[in-house]
Amino acid sequence: MAITRRSFLKRAAVSSLAAASIATGVGKAAAQVSPNGSLAMLHDLNKCDGCELQDTPQCVLACRTKNAVNFPQPQQPIKDYWPQPKHEDWSKKQHITNRLTPYNWTYVQNLEVEHEGQKIKVHVPRKCMHCDNPPCSKLCPFGVNDKTVEGPVVIDTNGCFGGAKCRDVCPWHIPQRQAGVGLYLDVAPDYAGGGVMYKCDMCYDLVKQGREPACVSACPRGAIKFGPQEELRQYALDWAKENDGYVYGVDENGGTANFYISRIPFDTINDAIMEQDFDGKNGRVGMPVNIENSMNEPGNMLSGFLLAPLAGVLAAGISTYQIMKGGSDDEDKTA
Amino acid sequence: MKIKRHNAAIRFTHWVTAASIFILLFTGFGQMPIYKRYYVDQIPGLAWSSDFLITLYIHYLAAIVLTFISVFYITYLIYSRAWDVFPRRGDFKESIQIFASMLGLAPEPENDKYLAEQRLAFAVTACSIIALIFTGILKVYKNIPGVHFSETTIFWLAQIHNLFTVVLLLSIIIHLLAFLIKDNRPLVASMFSGWIDREYVIHRHRKWWHRLTDASDLESASSSTNASGDEALV
Repeated sequence: MAITRRSFLKRAAVSSLAAASIATGVGKAAAQVSPNGSLAMLHDLNKCDGCELQDTPQCVLACRTKNAVNFPQPQQPIKDYWPQPKHEDWSKKQHITNRLTPYNWTYVQNLEVEHEGQKIKVHVPRKCMHCDNPPCSKLCPFGVNDKTVEGPVVIDTNGCFGGAKCRDVCPWHIPQRQAGVGLYLDVAPDYAGGGVMYKCDMCYDLVKQGREPACVSACPRGAIKFGPQEELRQYALDWAKENDGYVYGVDENGGTANFYISRIPFDTINDAIMEQDFDGKNGRVGMPVNIENSMNEPGNMLSGFLLAPLAGVLAAGISTYQIMKGGSDDEDKTA
Repeated sequence: MKIKRHNAAIRFTHWVTAASIFILLFTGFGQMPIYKRYYVDQIPGLAWSSDFLITLYIHYLAAIVLTFISVFYITYLIYSRAWDVFPRRGDFKESIQIFASMLGLAPEPENDKYLAEQRLAFAVTACSIIALIFTGILKVYKNIPGVHFSETTIFWLAQIHNLFTVVLLLSIIIHLLAFLIKDNRPLVASMFSGWIDREYVIHRHRKWWHRLTDASDLESASSSTNASGDEALV
């Protein structure tokens, strides 16, 4: 079939425009939800005493009581994750309160650190950081881990397959897995999936009702504040400036909705956590400072996706123009 | 005597598409935690396969290549008006006849450059790739720090992307299984060289052969009246 030079150029112009509109229209098609107006928590380590005189800190107790209805009830016997000779079962260790488990979504790390020549006790309540750009949510293969408009990062336990990818990509390895429960049991329990992932959801049901998370209400020393993220962030930064103190969670992983303020540098606190019988396993959480968000680098590749269609149109133009000029690479010819 | 079945642009498209899709399938399945569980990362040279960020990065690179080659191909088809590979009315019925002929139940219909079943398979594969590119680019955009989609959008993007991955994988498996049929095998070499035997075309692609011979008649007629020939492209 014949193509004239004029019709070739006309088609080239139309298809270039189409490709360009596809490339630039991507942003418009996406409904963006601004994280502004979302809520956050602030932990004042100068006030928290880890409820030293009690067996279990009040925030931990309140969390366990409030969330007991959400705890997993696995079907026994629980099978291994074939071909691996293991599975993760915390159902017989529900009493553990000094680390994260599917039955314990917050714990208090009790430390003794040396600061300015003095030994000081520090108590650090740990839980999900509810990041502004959570890799756990962004990379969930089934799209069932959401950063909500209100701020909490929430796992849909009905849709979770328990692959524990969220735990792997979380800088603090927060989500914890329970086998023998969840959707995977209905699909191919021997070969795919591993249970359901559990973690702090900032008491999302209470937050939606305009109430505060259970740990906040339970703290006897008012060491956990709850409120608008911007207000608490500003409060933390102002406090650190005025008191020569330190802030954690503002910059870490590109920003979080879980701030900490302390007179002790967080590097010192992290060192103490690492030294203190830290087994390197999941569930006990370090406090490394200035963690980069792992999504930054792949995010920089968007321009490649925008340029690819334009390059495609250009290359096809060159290719067909050469054929049109009488190149020897015509299809449907004999030799 | 040989006939040019695929020019360099088409062979380039085919193999770049094949390579990028192979990488996308491997790294895409790697977005689920299966390579560690199934010891794939224990295979020498594949230790990286269970690192989600490395596989994501490679997935993005291969996706950029697939986006490029897909737009290249679509634009090429538009420029060159090469519609032979698109499905036509009656292709479904004709495909059934081709399958029946394989079982010796019916004579094989006269085929054009592509068989009816190839045209249908092309449509399924192409639609899957387009759906995967669109949902994939939205997923890339969604993953950028600072961008937030609604829960429903995220859920359906993941489901549609995963569903079309399965459709594409099945269509590739069927595409490869087609070469178990002896009659299809000369086509493999043509995907590398571009050329195919005239006898094969006469035997298997009679409609195409008629078109080719008619076209060459026309071409010789037109070249005698239009000596410059610079307006014409076959």
